[in-house]
This record gives sequence, C-alpha cells and structure tokens, in this order.
Amino acid sequence: MTMQSPEKPSAAPVRKPLNLIQAINEAMREELLRDPNVLVFGEDVGKRGGVFLATEGLQAEFGNKRVFDTPLSEASIVGAAVGMCIRGLRPVAEIQFADYLYPGFDQIVSQAAKIRYRSGGGFYCPMVIRTPSGGGVRGGNHHSQSPEAYFTHTPGLKVVMPSTPYDAKGLLKEAIRLDDPVMFFEPKRLYRSFKEDVPTEDYTIPFGKAAIRMEGSDITLIGYGGVMPDVIKAAEALKAEGIQPEVIDLRTLIPWDREAVLASVAKTGRVVLISEAPRTSNFMGEVAYVIQEELFDQMLAPVVQVAGFDTPYPYALDKVYLPGPNRILRAAAKSLGY
Amino acid sequence: MFEAFTNQPIRLIGEDGSRTQPFELDLSVDELLQIHRDMIRARVCDERLIPILRQGKTSFYAQSTGMEATQIGIAWGVKKKHDWFWPYYRDNGLLLTLGMPMGRWIAQLLGSNEDVCKGRQMPQHFSDPENHIASICSAIGSHIAPAAGTAIAQKYLGTDEITVCTFGEGATSEGDWHAGVNMASANKAPCLFICENNQYAISLNVKDQTNSKNIAVKGHAYGIPGFYVDGQDVLAVRAVVKQAAEYIRAGNGSVLIECLTYRIGTHSSSDDDSRYRSKDEVESWRAQDPLVRFERFLEKEGILPAREEIEAYYGSVLAEFEEALQKSDASGYPTWEILFDDVYSDLPDHLAQQALYLREENL
Repeated sequence: MTMQSPEKPSAAPVRKPLNLIQAINEAMREELLRDPNVLVFGEDVGKRGGVFLATEGLQAEFGNKRVFDTPLSEASIVGAAVGMCIRGLRPVAEIQFADYLYPGFDQIVSQAAKIRYRSGGGFYCPMVIRTPSGGGVRGGNHHSQSPEAYFTHTPGLKVVMPSTPYDAKGLLKEAIRLDDPVMFFEPKRLYRSFKEDVPTEDYTIPFGKAAIRMEGSDITLIGYGGVMPDVIKAAEALKAEGIQPEVIDLRTLIPWDREAVLASVAKTGRVVLISEAPRTSNFMGEVAYVIQEELFDQMLAPVVQVAGFDTPYPYALDKVYLPGPNRILRAAAKSLGY
Repeated sequence: MFEAFTNQPIRLIGEDGSRTQPFELDLSVDELLQIHRDMIRARVCDERLIPILRQGKTSFYAQSTGMEATQIGIAWGVKKKHDWFWPYYRDNGLLLTLGMPMGRWIAQLLGSNEDVCKGRQMPQHFSDPENHIASICSAIGSHIAPAAGTAIAQKYLGTDEITVCTFGEGATSEGDWHAGVNMASANKAPCLFICENNQYAISLNVKDQTNSKNIAVKGHAYGIPGFYVDGQDVLAVRAVVKQAAEYIRAGNGSVLIECLTYRIGTHSSSDDDSRYRSKDEVESWRAQDPLVRFERFLEKEGILPAREEIEAYYGSVLAEFEEALQKSDASGYPTWEILFDDVYSDLPDHLAQQALYLREENL
C-alpha cells in the first residue's frame, strides 16, 4: 500500500521501514530522550511494554521513574497527568483501549480540557492521552469503539487520528510538544498492517493540515484513521473505471483542515465522508455542515456519508459494521449518479 | 506526636479555651495573634459577602463561617508559596491565609476585569498560580487525582514540596476520591489529603454519606495514616497538619486528615438549610464558635488583645474589603473580545472564524 504524506522529505538521509506501532514507539523514545520532563505511564506500559507493545523497551531504556505502570484506574491516570502538568511535566498517558476512556471521562472534559480557560491561562495541560481505537480486530463491543466525537465536542482538547506510520510518528511528536491536551487515537487495526519508510531524523507534523492521498477532479473522498486503507482501495477501484477521485486524510479532527476540504470539494463538486464511528453526531457531520454552508451553490450532488451504524459495536458482525470499500463505492456511485 | 486512627478527635484546646493536655507551644505570641487576625479576616470577608450577593454583584456564595479553625489551621501547618494546593470551593479562609490577596479573592467572586480567571468561573472557583493554588473545579472530587499527579511530579522532580488537597466529606463518596488517594498512596507521593468534614453535603448528613465510623479510618484501606482532628481547634489542626507535612517531606508517602467541623451558614446562597437540619443543631454548633474558642485560649494565656484593639482590627479588615471591592468593581467586566482566549495555546481556524463572526456582530 502506498499512501504518501505531503510533507514527506524527498531526500531524507536515513529512513527505515516501520509499522504504525513501531513509529509510535519511536516517537515516544525520541521525545523521552529530548526532554526530561516527558513521562510515559499507564496500565501495563512498563515491564509488559503495553498490551500492543507500543511502549516496548522504553522502561528498560529510561527507567521506572520516566516510564511506569499505574494502578488500574483511568480516572487516576488522566487526573494524575493533569496534576503533573500543573507542576511542569509533560505526561504521555496510555489508556489501554479507547473504550476505557469513559471511567476517565470527567478528568478529560472537566479538568484537562478546561483548566487553561477557567484559570484565565494561569495553568494549562501539555499532555497526551494515547489510546488504541476503532474496530476490525475482532475485539467485540468493549475493544472496538470509536469515541472521538465525544472529545471533538469538548472545547480545549485537540483530537488526532493518524493512519500511516509516518504521520503517527510526526503527529505524536508534535502532540507531546504542544501546550494543549491532545487525544491521540491510534487505529489499532493498522498497527501492524503495513510498513513505510520513516525518516530517522527529527520531524513533526503540524495539526490542522490534511494529507492529500490521491489527487483527482471528479469526486472527493474524505476519511481519517482506520478507514483510510479502504478509502484508498475504493478510490483505486474508481480510478480503474476512469473516474478521478481525490482522497483526503484529515489526520487531525480538532483542529481540522477546512481549507483543504473546501478547496477539494469546490474542485470536484462531489464528496463522500467516511468514518467508522456511529453515524449520529459523528464528527463528519460537522465537515458536512461546513461544506454545505460554504459550497452549497457549487455542489453537483448532496454530501454523502458512510459511517458505522448507530448500534453498539457487534463482535460477530464487525465486517458488516465497518465501512469497507463496497459501501464507499456505493456512496460514491450515489454521488456520481445524482 | 499525634496518633493516627484515634476514636476521639485530636484536640489541644477545650471549648472553654483551656489546654486539654499539657503541650509545648512552638508558636510565638506574635504568631498566635496573627492566627487570631487570620481567623477574623476570614470571618469578616465571609459575612461581608452576603450583602454583596443581595446587591446582585455576585451570583453565588458558599459561606465558611464556623470552619475558620480548620482552614486557618491548615494554612499555618504548611509552607506557603512552597507547597502546592488543590483546594475546594469553600476554602475562603485557607486561600486568604495562604496569601491570596483580598482584592484577587473579591475580583474572582465578582468576575471583574481584575479576576485572574477572566470571569470564566462561577464565584468561589478560584485560581492563583502565584500562591501555587490550582484552579477549582465544580465536579466534586475531580481534583483528587490531579492532586496525586502534582505530588507524583514533586517526587519525580526531587523537591521537598508537598501537595495539599482539601475536600468536603461528600467528595469521599466519589470514585475519583478513591482512585486519586490510591494513586498517591501506591506511588508514595507527597500528598496530604484533608477532609473538611462540615457534616453536610448540601442536605445529606455524613451519617448517610458513609457507614465508616469517620472519614479518617478510610486511610486504613489505602495504607496511609488517617488522623481524626477537632476541626474547631485551630492549634490542633495546625499541629497535626504540620506533623503530617513533616512525615510526608521525610519521604513516607501520603497522609489523610479529617477535620471535624461545621458550617454555620447554608450550603450556598441558593440553599435552604431549614429543610434538613434543626435550629437547635445549628445553634449548638454556633455556641462552639472556633473563633471564640481561640479567643478564650488567648485570654487564658494572658495574650488576648484588648476588645477595642480587636474591634479596630475588624474595622481595618472591613475598610480593606470595601476598598478592594470598589477597585474591583471599577475595573469593569470582561467583554466579548476575551471569549476565545485560553481555549488553546493558539487560535485554531474554527475559533478564529467564530471570533470573526462575533466581532462583526459587535461592530
């Protein structure tokens, strides 16, 4: 699979092939080396190296003061991160599955997200909450959810979901350096699904800049996170039929790249929005709203959305639930045939 | 040294002001008189807020009258501007004694332009970085785990600071309380948890809040000492807090203190306490006024200032209050221009667009 990122240096001196979880591991390792105020912690992140091995080797390299296991409590993992920020540290907390964010939800939305605003800028939270998200690994209901919309709805949080190793590393390093709390959702079904060459020298990717994965002029397909490989597959199928799709990977949801989206949709006049979160109040609803507000008279077809269904996540039917290439193609056909 | 897990609250001064046991007083006369003045200062500010509320200058106020011994005692047992604090909303006396200027305190209650929180928080949700006072959040108990985190950071940084986290007894029912105390304890973090048990969480009496015989015994569950203290005795509170702070600074991990006290006023300016507690009960606690008890002690020690001198001090605090109030009011109130500040470290596009919209609306 080839998914090129726009910022990728063309003549990077050294690169090595990494999968997404290795890229995340490298990002944390490099930031731990760079800044003594960075700490990594969560359930099982120390000796075990994380249940997906995202933190593998970090405790051995940096010791158990920099990388440590916590009691099994999402509220105290997130809450402690807030308190560490107040005293000048830059915590990177792992929540084992995005489905487990809920016991820590109040700490995220009441404390982390709001403390800068409510203290008039006196205190703030330069923290990252990393968490494996989404379905496709036969994890069932409590290991497959996509809760990003809860957090995009909370002012004060930045929300990220990469889909490539290169992006994962650059965005995580940026997240660790930002002075805002960042919800960093990792599409776990892409953790080990492919490798790409990632530069070994230091780089970051700014938030709010989408990646154009494929350039085209007939229809815009917009997605983020775990759905991106299927979006690319669908786009390639369209291409084989002589249609020129443009593919946009949002990469960051708060902030999101209105400019890139509007420029593309203004060019194509047709758009399909793809995500795997339940459809109602899905973040893509906001994207659709902005498109219709700004480009209503330039559209050749209504905005079409492909999403998860408004059901809890089903174990046995996860292939039915997730928007695969066929559903994306059907949506594209609806738009093209309008 | 005081013992943890006593059946009776630790007390140094009886209600008549006499020493309940022989003890060496490690405070100078000047310090004792300053504690007295700090208690008066908190009382005056607290009582003066009610007419301010009736004038509509603020929308909410939760009185702390009756809790001065607990709050001023805590402030005198820690290192101001050195230790860090995660307080709760009713900590008026604590914050004023830790060094929060009266003007800053009033400005937050008014939400005026002098408010360091820029009028974002409901009254009494203070924030004072200069005095290491973290921002107060309304969600009860949500500051417990952050306090544990601040203490973990202090341990990591190798300072000899401690974190002090205060809360009412109602907070001890919240999941976050248990998560946070456990987190601090498991990390041997330098965290001092102090329950200001004023016996009511709005209308719910502590007996209906928990089946534990008191709050201090909950320390057993987390492997940390739990001290049960008479919260109407400023010297006892100060002494136990000081002992706990020294124990924590020596690297022994966290401590829980319960100060048994009582709020004479209602839960807040919106509350009607006659629905859930009797006049007799309130009056019996009014008779145990911690300020009066401390004055009796000073009198027995032969150092209580003359009544005229005390009255003059009341007058000077009132004058300071009125001056600060007028200054804060005169500074004006926030306008739409600051709505989008401090949401993030930068102004993302979507907020810039909304700011532009609001600017056009206000031109």
